[in-house]
Amino acid sequence: MRRPPPLVEEERLRSEKLARLELWRCHQCGQCTAVCPSGKNGGIRTREVLERAANGTLDTASDEQIWQCLMCNSCSERCELDADPAEVITLLRNIAAEQGNLPDHFKEEAKLFLATGLSFPITGMTRKIRKELGLPDLAVDQRTVEEVKLIVAGTRLGRLRLE
Amino acid sequence: MSDTRYLLFSGCLIPARLPFLERSSCFVLDRLGIRYERLPDPTCCVEPIGLRSLGYDTWLATTARMLSIAEKREAEILSLCNGCFMSLKEAQHRLQDESVREQVNSILAPTGVLYNAGARVRHFSEIIAETGSSRVRKEVIAPQERFKLAIHPGCHLTRPSRVLQAEGRFEPKMIATIASWTGASVAHSDDWPQCCGGGLAGVDDRISNAVMEQNVTRFREDGANAILTPCPFCFVQYDIRQRSGMPVLYLAELLALAFGAKPEEIGLKYHKTKLNV
Repeated sequence: MRRPPPLVEEERLRSEKLARLELWRCHQCGQCTAVCPSGKNGGIRTREVLERAANGTLDTASDEQIWQCLMCNSCSERCELDADPAEVITLLRNIAAEQGNLPDHFKEEAKLFLATGLSFPITGMTRKIRKELGLPDLAVDQRTVEEVKLIVAGTRLGRLRLE
Repeated sequence: MSDTRYLLFSGCLIPARLPFLERSSCFVLDRLGIRYERLPDPTCCVEPIGLRSLGYDTWLATTARMLSIAEKREAEILSLCNGCFMSLKEAQHRLQDESVREQVNSILAPTGVLYNAGARVRHFSEIIAETGSSRVRKEVIAPQERFKLAIHPGCHLTRPSRVLQAEGRFEPKMIATIASWTGASVAHSDDWPQCCGGGLAGVDDRISNAVMEQNVTRFREDGANAILTPCPFCFVQYDIRQRSGMPVLYLAELLALAFGAKPEEIGLKYHKTKLNV
């Protein structure tokens, strides 16, 4: 089984980060690319991302390919060597986001999560339909939102510049 | 400890944007006599496409908080969403590792939450499959023979298969099997479950739509007249973003209809692509 990935990381560990992704597992066979629905449509080139991450030529601060992954996990399911490309891409995105490289769509989602504890807004329409269908009213109580804020403050999401 | 075995967790997308899917899920669970309470104090699961990509440790700590609530109540989390299912179940798997758990518990310390690796996470479709053919068929009073379904299990019900353990990685059968109990026929199913393209909706719509429309073309070639999915993200992708007009049913909706639910009772009118079959 893979070692668990790094959690709370310090700046001095930055150079070790790519080593921790266990990129040595990848033998560049390309099965990941063959099953990738994004790649088939001109999106991410998964094998290439793993190669460039391993040889140090992937610039997480500006790379756009890593944000073209659908996170369908097909590559990781297919990989014979447990290189787990989807996990590698997730962790590369974590580093990229911290450097300010992330899509606006995810920025907005993160802001909403921080403010409400949910990733989708509760609207007047939500309340109307829930009432009509006899479902209980929906809201994350303030105590729970405060717990989310404490968690975010102590983790990576809290270190992102979201404005 | 209560005698309720399941804590219903409907996530964000269903309760906020698709409450009618929550309605049909509750309808089905009630009919089958499956007892549940709502998971207390739920939050977003830190979904595995966007938010987890921004904060891996945020994901583990947030999910550990909810897993600990279920652990205390000695009940299993019952998820209505593939995204929540994968998020919670993969976290539960990773948190089996003591060193990861210690780190996450130290993040959680200011909230007073402690997780001891005792939670269990299930998907709605697993619960239905376990309930079994004879019990489910007993409730079918309106066989849904009009539907020739394209089965779309969704990525996060199946992959990573060794962690989720809900379906095989190749030729998953669970959703098609459940569908067959309702009288519907299966026109299309994939050996390798396909992605709906939803992971890039709003990020790269060209890729997102291309992936989806390629699926629908195959569904149509095989003679399907509706899509069946147990995932609300796939549901949104096919119902709202699809241009080619093939209607989509959420698994609980198909079951509810077969169990005799009236369309207005489960909010079928809120589908954007109408079920005109």
